[in-house]
Amino acid sequence: MSAYKRALRERSEHYLMQAAMKEVGTGAPSTVAPYKKRGGLLWRLVFVPLYRRVPWTVKRRAMATLRMTSTGWTPPAREPSEPWHPPPR
Amino acid sequence: MSERLIVIGGGGAGTAAATIAKRLNPDLKVTLFTEFPDIAYSPCGIPFVHGREIEKFENLFLSTVERYVEDGLDMRMETTVTDLDLDRGTVTAKNTHEGFDRLVIGTGFTWEKPDVPGANLEGLHYVKDIRAAMLFDEQLDGMKRVTVIGATPLGVEMAGNLGHRGLQVDFVDEGPWVLSEVLDPDVAEPVHESLEKRGVTLRLGTRIEGFTEGSGGKVGAVATSAGELECDAVIVCLHKLPNSALAEAAGIKTGTTGGIMVDERMHTSADRVWAAGDVVEVPHGLSMLPIRGLTGSHAYAQGRTAAFNAAGQDLVYDPVWIPWGMVAGDYTIGGFSIGETLAQAMGVPYVVAKGVGVSRARYYPGATRTHVKLLADPESHKLIGGQIHGGEGVKERADFLAFAAKRGATLEDVAWMENIYSPPIGALFEPMAIAAQNGLAALRS
Repeated sequence: MSAYKRALRERSEHYLMQAAMKEVGTGAPSTVAPYKKRGGLLWRLVFVPLYRRVPWTVKRRAMATLRMTSTGWTPPAREPSEPWHPPPR
Repeated sequence: MSERLIVIGGGGAGTAAATIAKRLNPDLKVTLFTEFPDIAYSPCGIPFVHGREIEKFENLFLSTVERYVEDGLDMRMETTVTDLDLDRGTVTAKNTHEGFDRLVIGTGFTWEKPDVPGANLEGLHYVKDIRAAMLFDEQLDGMKRVTVIGATPLGVEMAGNLGHRGLQVDFVDEGPWVLSEVLDPDVAEPVHESLEKRGVTLRLGTRIEGFTEGSGGKVGAVATSAGELECDAVIVCLHKLPNSALAEAAGIKTGTTGGIMVDERMHTSADRVWAAGDVVEVPHGLSMLPIRGLTGSHAYAQGRTAAFNAAGQDLVYDPVWIPWGMVAGDYTIGGFSIGETLAQAMGVPYVVAKGVGVSRARYYPGATRTHVKLLADPESHKLIGGQIHGGEGVKERADFLAFAAKRGATLEDVAWMENIYSPPIGALFEPMAIAAQNGLAALRS
């Protein structure tokens, strides 16, 4: 399962980054087209468009359900709070 | 009877874990194993010695083995741990079993190797071990042309520094611009210009297809999708891979990045075993997705967290917002969390706020332009990422913004922040505030 998840993440990140680079980089001076490996049609034509249609909040929930996110960590409150104190000696 | 802590790894995380644990709990017997003959030096400084920005490798050493021994550590230099038995609580090194009560794994990373023919030829250099770097530096004196593979942070530093040394540098990467996995194209543009000024030839969107043998059995050329490049040596700067095989073989859980899974106390899935540094994965503060391969300061802080908890105290490490910065050629770039390209890839909703200011009073000699790009959540306006480039002050702004984002600061907070105005060190208008104000104005219009 761990190897499957690792491969899933690696592949999906690769094709999502390729698509993003193409869009963000189009027209930017001094850039070129990224090297495109053969294959990956299913990822490019199906996965990337589908992933993009799903709202971020749903994607986040799905990633947590699939246990793709870290466990054993406190998600940040992202609110001003008490500063960190060193533990008592 | 006092307990024994074994630390595997002599990098930033391992040395921090060993020294801090001993300081916190002097009764603890602490043994550190490292496969290398040296310890406590800064490998991050190696490209700058090659580039003659730093005079000699000896300057990179921060301490000595003897100093650690004086501090009460049992130092096992050039001793590779080959096996880990969690049931018995032993590590095996040089065919000897050594028992532990607590263990910290800080085995770091190995460089990804190119998966093409000829990758085992002599002359392919990986930047890690300082002694290998010293030997390579002597060889560089007799070289004219080198190829750097991988436009990663190390690749950019090596290409820029070898160009500065006067070598002809071919810089090859599959990406459409340098540092394309972290940097946005608008920030990459001045980096390209700066590298080219140093004599670096950029060969982007180009794939490595193999290495060809030259004279004396060493690499003589690199075959790429855009043709062959003759060279005297190749410097491989691809991705960092976690050195987690030992832990994985012992049954310790690894995650989706291949790094060891740890909780916020740097504790692994195994009882009494902690891990830190490039071998672990930790969550990104924005997405909680595990990431790895961060900076030396992250490794040290994680090692400190592991040390506190292994020494019987309680310390928690936060999800990371990754302030980063570097000199690329003669240009300084930095940022925190994510950029526009990564936000687009992840599908995170964002608005962009851009601005340009100056690092000192405009009339003061040495003032440089500082470009700031902030990414914020469209609803709450909370900061989610950013990139900065220019001359001085990039690092401090990246550190500040990462901290501000972690605490939930918004574009409004940054737009109306207080700032120092003192002609030699700060302009009247803070570039980050200018960017945030521009972003808010664009949102209103």
